[in-house]
Amino acid sequence: MKSTWYASFRSFLRAVAGAALGLSLGLLICKLVGESPLKVLHVLYQSSFGSGYDFGMTLFYTAPLILTGLAVAIPLKGGLFNIGAEGQLTVGALAAAWAGVIGASIQSPVIAVVFATSSAFLAGGLWGLLPGFLKARQGSHEVITTIMLNFIAAGVTAYFTLYSIKDPVSAQAETIPLPEAFHLKPFAAFNGAPMGGLIFFLILLAVGIHYALWKSSWGYSLKALGENETAAETYGISRGRSWMSSMFLAGGVAGLVGLVEVLGNSHRFKIGFSADYGFVGIAVALVARGNILGVLPSAFLFGILQKGSASLDLETDKITRDLSYLIQGLIILGVSAEDLWGWIWQLVRRKK
Amino acid sequence: MSALEFRGVSKCFGSFFANRDLSFSVEPGTIHGLIGENGAGKSTAMKALFGIYPIDGGTILIQGKPVRNKSPVQAMRLGIGMVHQHFMLAGPETVLDNIILGHEPGFLRLDRERALEELKKISETYGLHFQKWHARVDELSVGEQQRVEILKLLYQRSAILILDEPTAVLTPQEVTELFENLKRLKAEGKTIILISHKLKEVLTHTDSVTVLRRGECVGTRVTAETNEDELAQMMVGRPVSFTYEGERKVFAKADESRAVLRVERLTIEGVSEPLRKVGFDLRPAEILGVAGVQGNGQTTLLRFLSNPSRYRSADGEYRFAGANRMGSNPLALRRAGMALVPEDRLSEGLLLEQDLVENYLLGQHEDPRFVRNGMIDRSKLRPRVEAAIRDFDIRPPYTNIWASRLSGGNQQKLVIARALDSNPNTLLIAHPTRGVDVGAIERIHEAIMKERNAGKSILLFSSELDELMDLSDRILVFYNGAVAAEFSRREFDPWAIGRVMGGGAK
Ligand SMILES: Nc1ncnc2c1ncn2[C@@H]1O[C@H](COP(=O)(O)OP(=O)(O)OP(=O)(O)O)[C@@H](O)[C@H]1O
Ligand SMILES: [Mg+2]
Repeated sequence: MKSTWYASFRSFLRAVAGAALGLSLGLLICKLVGESPLKVLHVLYQSSFGSGYDFGMTLFYTAPLILTGLAVAIPLKGGLFNIGAEGQLTVGALAAAWAGVIGASIQSPVIAVVFATSSAFLAGGLWGLLPGFLKARQGSHEVITTIMLNFIAAGVTAYFTLYSIKDPVSAQAETIPLPEAFHLKPFAAFNGAPMGGLIFFLILLAVGIHYALWKSSWGYSLKALGENETAAETYGISRGRSWMSSMFLAGGVAGLVGLVEVLGNSHRFKIGFSADYGFVGIAVALVARGNILGVLPSAFLFGILQKGSASLDLETDKITRDLSYLIQGLIILGVSAEDLWGWIWQLVRRKK
Repeated sequence: MSALEFRGVSKCFGSFFANRDLSFSVEPGTIHGLIGENGAGKSTAMKALFGIYPIDGGTILIQGKPVRNKSPVQAMRLGIGMVHQHFMLAGPETVLDNIILGHEPGFLRLDRERALEELKKISETYGLHFQKWHARVDELSVGEQQRVEILKLLYQRSAILILDEPTAVLTPQEVTELFENLKRLKAEGKTIILISHKLKEVLTHTDSVTVLRRGECVGTRVTAETNEDELAQMMVGRPVSFTYEGERKVFAKADESRAVLRVERLTIEGVSEPLRKVGFDLRPAEILGVAGVQGNGQTTLLRFLSNPSRYRSADGEYRFAGANRMGSNPLALRRAGMALVPEDRLSEGLLLEQDLVENYLLGQHEDPRFVRNGMIDRSKLRPRVEAAIRDFDIRPPYTNIWASRLSGGNQQKLVIARALDSNPNTLLIAHPTRGVDVGAIERIHEAIMKERNAGKSILLFSSELDELMDLSDRILVFYNGAVAAEFSRREFDPWAIGRVMGGGAK
């Protein structure tokens, strides 16, 4: 009999096979436009693993995607589609920067980082809680409310950036820089790429959330709700509590992008810093098939592609940025086309 | 020439043979019964015929021609129609749309008017009375959904109709009607395959019967030449008794003030099955049966009693285990000792894409036996599930398969085992043996009676009057949202109860 772990393992294998298929299709297209597929592969490899700096940068692209991927995957367990990670991370990042302004006198790095982390988590969390609350209370569809809250978040954070904590010295739309105690140190081995121990923290976070969802009665309720709302309700699982808590957690996790960007990299909040992390997070979660641990490799894959797309543009003649997005798209398609695999499998069986 | 023939048909799931080398044939213009224990492979065989599963060996012949149905659409084109054991209507759409889905009259355009005309004609010709063409399917009762499914087949002009346990969810009146209709269809030359666990039904209404056991064909009989005992013996492999004959412990006359559950003047308006001034007591060590034609308030009553928080507008009194329970949620009731077997196991009772352990946890997900500090200890749960599988003979006996892989009757056993697991003092049980085979009915009835004899209180909802009369100490008959009459065990009489169910006086 097929056990659960066997099923997840098979699903993982299928995902890998899907990525390979998508990549092959992409390489075929490269070949068609006159670029050697081997060269493309080489550039991709070099740009993500070629040096300490490159690897560090790949991880730097990966980190926010882990967070936003989680922010989409968590509520998905309960049947909610969180399109609002973008807004949640913006609000969280601003809160992290603001924590630095308020806590300018904090000397201890530990206290500073904990303070900024909790501010980012809380702000993002509340931003996520709101659509969860509206859904539970009014039945407002979360897709619509989270999209609207993305716009509102952009407006609100821009306002505060420009009028409350703007850096008076800078000509850019950015906040007052963080004091030294708030800076996260990158690894020296990364030769200047802004990524350090934080990446381990994020991996631990994903593992912890996975564990909580699997082990806790809260996680069970959420899963049951996502699987069969009527049955969950019949057996006393409260929709409101599950939805609100999962959206709060998701928003909070998205808000931690503030750690990567504000504490780890630019040391301040800049309007428009996010390279659509919130939206790419949707793709990350879907490629991971909503599996919490699956978000880690999935985000890494997207990190590699994102880092690689810039290099491909620069280092090959034929492959432009758009084309590398196309390749990215094909890979996503290959992974997410689960039905396609079932279909191919059936064809093979019929032939026999 | 046979309308349909199975020649050595096999179907496996992995290494497990759900059907092995099945051979039988069905003559045109007859009603052919297909019976067997839960998990014997009845649904699987019919799904193979209907093109849902590809077969792994053998041949299926229709009108003597071998066919290979790759999909239900193809099967429908060959004139095969199927009403599934678990209905497959699209939730929020209207009845009309559900019926004409995929068979729209007119080209590229829905001509609902025309379809409706035709449907009304069909429903009249076959005497399947139905009015709510524009209601949403998920607002219909189970019985009504069933009627829609059958109308859909008639609308598709199927020549071979497969009905997978059609009567499991119908009221006695509806069952009578259904069989009248089937007879009419038969007279018109249609061929009908009927899956059922009710041997009486099979014996009265079919022309021939095929018996399956553990995936294999035990034999085919001409109905007129066989009897209940022979069929049961063929199905189970041992003699079976059909009524509950176990011990019914006599208790000192129950003290009426000691009711564990009391409802007074309960009124719920604004729902599809309203309740009007319902009142009754449920006492220790008794089985209180609830009878009534479907749609007379029983569904609302059960839903209210198990989850009052869902009915904010309810008026009246509901006391359970010494406390007021208006507005309570299911977990609070559970902590006070209540357990539930809901009406519809699929939509209300199971997480289909989770394994049996996860399903067993539903409702017990905050039970201190398995949960400490909010963390679930599944290693404590698994042995319980294994015990349930043994006690109720759930097949296949694995804890790590999805609930959707169990046959209908085995799913039902799981839901019942789960309800009994927490050793509740009060049980709300609906249709406990719906879709369950004769052997398992015995086991389930014994389990319910054991609870009663141990002093527990049981509120038993069932559309089987026989079952209610076998088990209950008292029966409440619902009519039009109210308790129309109460019968004590001495007074049990199917005709009298039936009269009250139809709106007559006691
Ligand atoms: N999709 C599936 N995958 C694996 N096993 C399955 C699947 N569907 C059914 N089975 C198994 O095949 C066997 C036959 O199932 P089937 O549903 O045909 O039984 P049935 O005779 O209709 O029983 P019931 O009277 O309970 O409805 C069962 O043991 C069941 O667990
Ligand atoms: Mg079946």
